[in-house]
Amino acid sequence: MGQQPNMMQTYDYEVIKKFTIAAIIYAIVGFLVGVILALELTFPDLNGGIPYISFGRLRPLHTSAVIFAFGGSVLFATSYYIVQRTSKARLFSDFLSNLTFWGWNLVVVLVVITYPLGLTQGKEYAEPIWPIDLLITVVWVAYFINYVGTLARRKEPHIYVANWFYLAFIITVALLHIVNNLAIPINLTDSYSIFSGVQDAMIQWWYGHNAVGFFLTAAFLGLMYYFVPKQAERPVYSYRLSIVHFWALSFMYIWAGPHHLHYTALPDWAGTLGATFSIMLLLPSWGGMINGIMTLSGAWHKLRTDPILRFFIVSLSFYGMSTFEGPLMSIKSVNALSHYTDWTIGHVHSGALGWVAMVSFGAIYHMVPRLWGVAIYSKGLINLHFWLATIGVVIYIVAMWISGIMQGLMWRAYDSFGNLSYSFAESVAAMHPYYLIRTIGGVVFLVGALVMAFNIIMTVRGGAKQAPATIG
Amino acid sequence: MADNKGVETTGHQWDDDEGYPLQEFNNPLPKWWLYTFYATIIWSFIYWVLYPAWPSANGFTKGVLGWSMHTEFKEDMAAVQVQQKAFNDQMERLSLQEIAKDNKLLQYAISGGKAVFGDYCAPCHGTGGIGVKTGGFPTLADDDWLFGGNLETIHETISGGRVGQMPAHLKSAGGNFSDAQVDDLTSYVLSLTGQSKDAAANQRGDALFHGDAGCKGCHGDKGNGSLKGTVDGSPLPPIGAPNLTDAIWLYGGDRQTVRDSIAKGRSGKMPAWSKESKEVGKKLDPLALKQVTIYVHSLGGGQ
Repeated sequence: MGQQPNMMQTYDYEVIKKFTIAAIIYAIVGFLVGVILALELTFPDLNGGIPYISFGRLRPLHTSAVIFAFGGSVLFATSYYIVQRTSKARLFSDFLSNLTFWGWNLVVVLVVITYPLGLTQGKEYAEPIWPIDLLITVVWVAYFINYVGTLARRKEPHIYVANWFYLAFIITVALLHIVNNLAIPINLTDSYSIFSGVQDAMIQWWYGHNAVGFFLTAAFLGLMYYFVPKQAERPVYSYRLSIVHFWALSFMYIWAGPHHLHYTALPDWAGTLGATFSIMLLLPSWGGMINGIMTLSGAWHKLRTDPILRFFIVSLSFYGMSTFEGPLMSIKSVNALSHYTDWTIGHVHSGALGWVAMVSFGAIYHMVPRLWGVAIYSKGLINLHFWLATIGVVIYIVAMWISGIMQGLMWRAYDSFGNLSYSFAESVAAMHPYYLIRTIGGVVFLVGALVMAFNIIMTVRGGAKQAPATIG
Repeated sequence: MADNKGVETTGHQWDDDEGYPLQEFNNPLPKWWLYTFYATIIWSFIYWVLYPAWPSANGFTKGVLGWSMHTEFKEDMAAVQVQQKAFNDQMERLSLQEIAKDNKLLQYAISGGKAVFGDYCAPCHGTGGIGVKTGGFPTLADDDWLFGGNLETIHETISGGRVGQMPAHLKSAGGNFSDAQVDDLTSYVLSLTGQSKDAAANQRGDALFHGDAGCKGCHGDKGNGSLKGTVDGSPLPPIGAPNLTDAIWLYGGDRQTVRDSIAKGRSGKMPAWSKESKEVGKKLDPLALKQVTIYVHSLGGGQ
């Protein structure tokens, strides 16, 4: 250590700062829209008959805001941070860095305008209309060039494991995005998918499942592989495990999509393959959790004093739990109960809130003091945020588990004569209290994010006051 | 270098200008992890042998169990049909009255009728027929009937549908009466349930009700509806005119709503569910019609 010249000054931190701030803003917006939707489900009259804020239009806005605006900004920020620091090289091109930032944010703005107006191509998690899809493609190609260009300039002989995951994410998302959005435009806002019928559904869920697999899993594992050892100040547990689980995960995930289409027009054989590859995906997924948690072995005592590390360890626990739950739900007989119920919503949120958001919060708290060169404003508030987030997620997913399993059981309940015991409306009425509990969980989680925003604002402001002295 | 307790790091190091430098131990794959991974792969191979799995140029491997979602569905449905066949045969043969007398058959009909009702009737009449807040759809769980609450009449109502037409009375809505006259009629109607104490208005309304406005022609001399009431000593035609004296309201019993009903009229429509009907929309087979009839009859007010 220390023989090489200090590279810290040459890194481009500006684009990372911008993406970090964007991530915090989008987190709050995305969570807030989620809370509004939870309330609309609890009290359907709340939309006041206004089409722009009806559930059907706001729901894709919520999913896009949390996955692509918040999650995407976190991934841009952390990947740019990690690739520079582990390559000892400045980002390949300032122009491309700025193009990705402003381009991505333009995409978000266009999405926020078009969805409430009802402009959508009706594909889940791929709702943007074709002109926005083209813009996403441009930004993504710029991102790829910028990322690979930086890696090519690296001064280290080896590419750190985090970068493999980010690279797999960038390449696969490009492939998914382009194939799923292949369409013939008929005017500025409408287009027809080139696929039809069950092929279209299959392509859509190949995309949808791998958006989860590579956007929300692989990329955030990359994030984890940098921030957990860095924060714990311990070497990664096993290089060997990281190689094996990286390739197994990448290979298995891409097949798992058909499990979203059990008991539909999709042929039985495709469903079987989707389910079996999901089962085989369990251990490759857990490889990341093992590597993360075992990295802490010998440093467990740090959990007592370091709230950031707590974010990481809890996120890895939720990651392990939801990657166990997912394969379980992919088995046809389980899916027959869980499909179309709130169980799915609970599963998604244990992954999205428990894993993705928690690991992101940890990364933000780790990066911000280093990006702005200041100490964090309040460690106590990080701890408060940790507890609010943890309690919020637990309330949320427990409510959805109960509601979802109840819903599934009510739908399939028969009386002694073989007639259905409950009508659909009765199952909806039975879910009301759980919708209310879920809303409370969401509000608690949102309050946690507001605490984070306050803490980060105070941290950066404090830095601004300190700055002259530091420079002098 | 880190305290690696005998385990070597890979010797690579990154990001060592600030904070802890990134390093990697090279621990072997955890055994339980590896063996469980193998187990999931073996499990998948077994699954592929049992179930439809791999596609080929002219089909796909069918699996030794012979399972498909279509056969699963057909088998499940066939099992239910076997279970229900004896009941269904009897229900087809017997009249509504006869079914209602056979306790086991009655329970079966209520069970099936509840399922039909939950899907097709509850959206307007409420779960269990307890009515809905918006009004306009009769509550079926009470004994206040518009067309009749015996089995045959309920069956007729469901099969052929019903139309309930209350004409508009206010001039501006196409009727023949002034605002003041409509107010008087409202007062009189409310007085039938003791809600209007304005004797003068009630009296003027009374005169209109039994005179020019012709209300008694449908609601009867006493205002107790086409089912129970009489006009000039004769029974009323079965037109579903509500009883105005029982404080059970189809659209609402506050002054404003009653006035709206009189002023602008009301138009109620119960769809026809029989396959013989020419109306468009979802239809029920004769068995389901019988079941839902018996279910509605059982809700509390069957006569």
